[in-house]
Amino acid sequence: MTETTKLGLFTYDVKNGLGLIGYNVDEHEHAHIIVDTKKCGDCDSMMCVWGCPAQCYMFRDVGLEEMKFQYEDCVECGTCFLMCTDGALSWNHPRGGFGITYSQG
Amino acid sequence: MDDETDFDVIVIGAGFAGAATAFQLLKEGIEGDRILVVDRGEPIGSKNLTGGILWGRELDDFEEFLGNWEMDCPGIERAINHKKVGFLSSEDALFVEGRFASWDGTGGTDEPSQRSSWSVLRAKADAWMAEKMEEAGIFVMPGMKIDQLHIDGLDHESYTARDLTDPAEDSGKGAAQKWKIDNFPKELVDKIRNGKIRGIVQDGEVMTSNVVVIAEGSNSILTRTYHFDSMLNAQSKEDLLLGVKEVIHLGKERIDERFNCFPGDDERPPSGMAMELALSLYRDMAHEAWKEYPVTDGLYPRCGGFFYTNRETVSCGIIVQLSSLPSGIHTYDLYQAFKEQPAIAALIEGGEAIEYGAHLCPEYGLHRMPHRFTRDGALVVGDAAGLVFANGMQIQGMNNALHSGKLAGKAIATCISNGDVSAKALDATYTKSLKASYIYRDLKRFEPATKFLNNPANFTWVPELVGKTANRVFREIGEEKVPAEKVLRQVRKEMRAKSKANKKGMGLISMLKLALTGRKL
Repeated sequence: MTETTKLGLFTYDVKNGLGLIGYNVDEHEHAHIIVDTKKCGDCDSMMCVWGCPAQCYMFRDVGLEEMKFQYEDCVECGTCFLMCTDGALSWNHPRGGFGITYSQG
Repeated sequence: MDDETDFDVIVIGAGFAGAATAFQLLKEGIEGDRILVVDRGEPIGSKNLTGGILWGRELDDFEEFLGNWEMDCPGIERAINHKKVGFLSSEDALFVEGRFASWDGTGGTDEPSQRSSWSVLRAKADAWMAEKMEEAGIFVMPGMKIDQLHIDGLDHESYTARDLTDPAEDSGKGAAQKWKIDNFPKELVDKIRNGKIRGIVQDGEVMTSNVVVIAEGSNSILTRTYHFDSMLNAQSKEDLLLGVKEVIHLGKERIDERFNCFPGDDERPPSGMAMELALSLYRDMAHEAWKEYPVTDGLYPRCGGFFYTNRETVSCGIIVQLSSLPSGIHTYDLYQAFKEQPAIAALIEGGEAIEYGAHLCPEYGLHRMPHRFTRDGALVVGDAAGLVFANGMQIQGMNNALHSGKLAGKAIATCISNGDVSAKALDATYTKSLKASYIYRDLKRFEPATKFLNNPANFTWVPELVGKTANRVFREIGEEKVPAEKVLRQVRKEMRAKSKANKKGMGLISMLKLALTGRKL
């Protein structure tokens, strides 16, 4: 018998990945996504947490009691808006010139 | 036609669909200074991301503006002459690989000899295309996000952009989703959803035009809020895919060597490889996730992998159907599993990730196209209209974006010269030509493929069965040789014994059904 590689769970270093992207972050008063975190308390599925490719949503997955949201790392894909089942999200694109700036794409 | 408007046509979005619309309008005789193209990216292209491969030579029609785009556009990376499809499971990988001389465009074969597919990096390609639009005399404004459309006889201050996207206090879930705007006076709602569109509103300022073209791409807020796509308005994640990828730098020489590419010369761009893969990598992850989060028990991530060579870099990523994502698995960890699969890891060895990113892809198929493509004074093109084709062997959107833009440009020019830009007139030209085009015919012919592609079998046991069978058929370990068919039966038997899900999924009737739908690809 030859040895085989056991593949189990995988963890992408998302903070490192996000560090590779350019951003022009807008001020807090102009945050393009606003989350009414009061509505998140009872949510079992937390699909925003799992769907978001930029770890903008953190909740029970990292042991938090309350939903913690930050818009600064958002890649503006729109996934969270489609995933939220509790109407907790106000979603729009950032103001012109702000937000993510891909240089490759 | 109204000559008092600021522009004849305002195009929202300077991607391929928007650029094609603008170039086509020029070709039809509309003056460049009567066309405004706005884009929320600054520089243009900085909001865009693709896998991705541009299929087809749609750009040739704009040679007068783009010249030798294949050689000159920095984001058009390599001409694909090497295509691979494959099955990946955690341990095994099986590829079907084609190298086609006729795809090089250097002649000498029975098939039409031309280059017809290129790996693309959109941030670079869109920036270049915007330059070309400006050179051709079109007004291009980067860094401009459109909040509202200007509607005839409606004060845009009577509602805000946020009213359109904010959930109502009394909202239900899923299809019963309600928006703040739904609770506004009926007359106002009707105006917003059906009034005559006469321009755009940005930062409180109105700019008027005879026609507005929505070319915002896959995550189009305007298409939803101004009621082109009624399904999206119900916040549906059905048929929407999320692509997650890294651009990994390997250097040109290493790519040429590793993938046996033609290095390029004065007349031909370097050649490259495009690969799409069925993945069965997530069994263990899914089972752990179900234990932790029973709320999505049994939901298995339907995920495909892609790998494309650019000039200096490779684009490596996954695409996941959002409706199949279980709680407990982050989308970026799906990517990590792909990246670590030994066959993929070998291809990116020694490389350095230089960009990470993610983007939605609307794989609607005909069953959920926008319920209308036009309104009085407006129409929708490209990804915003969900014009993406996928049948498991191919995934194409950029060519459809370009083609729909051309059709829109032609239609708008006709309607403006006839002095009628009503939805009816735009339907009789744009929608009609769209439905007669290859875009629609392809979507129609391959509609049954959607059913096949959504079958969980393709993301669980199929890649594993194929990989394991190939593994044994091609191998010699000092045992008696067995015909391939027998090996397949044996692997199937073992896999069925191993898990309950396999026992059910790999039953004869299920397999027969899968084969029957697969025939339609």
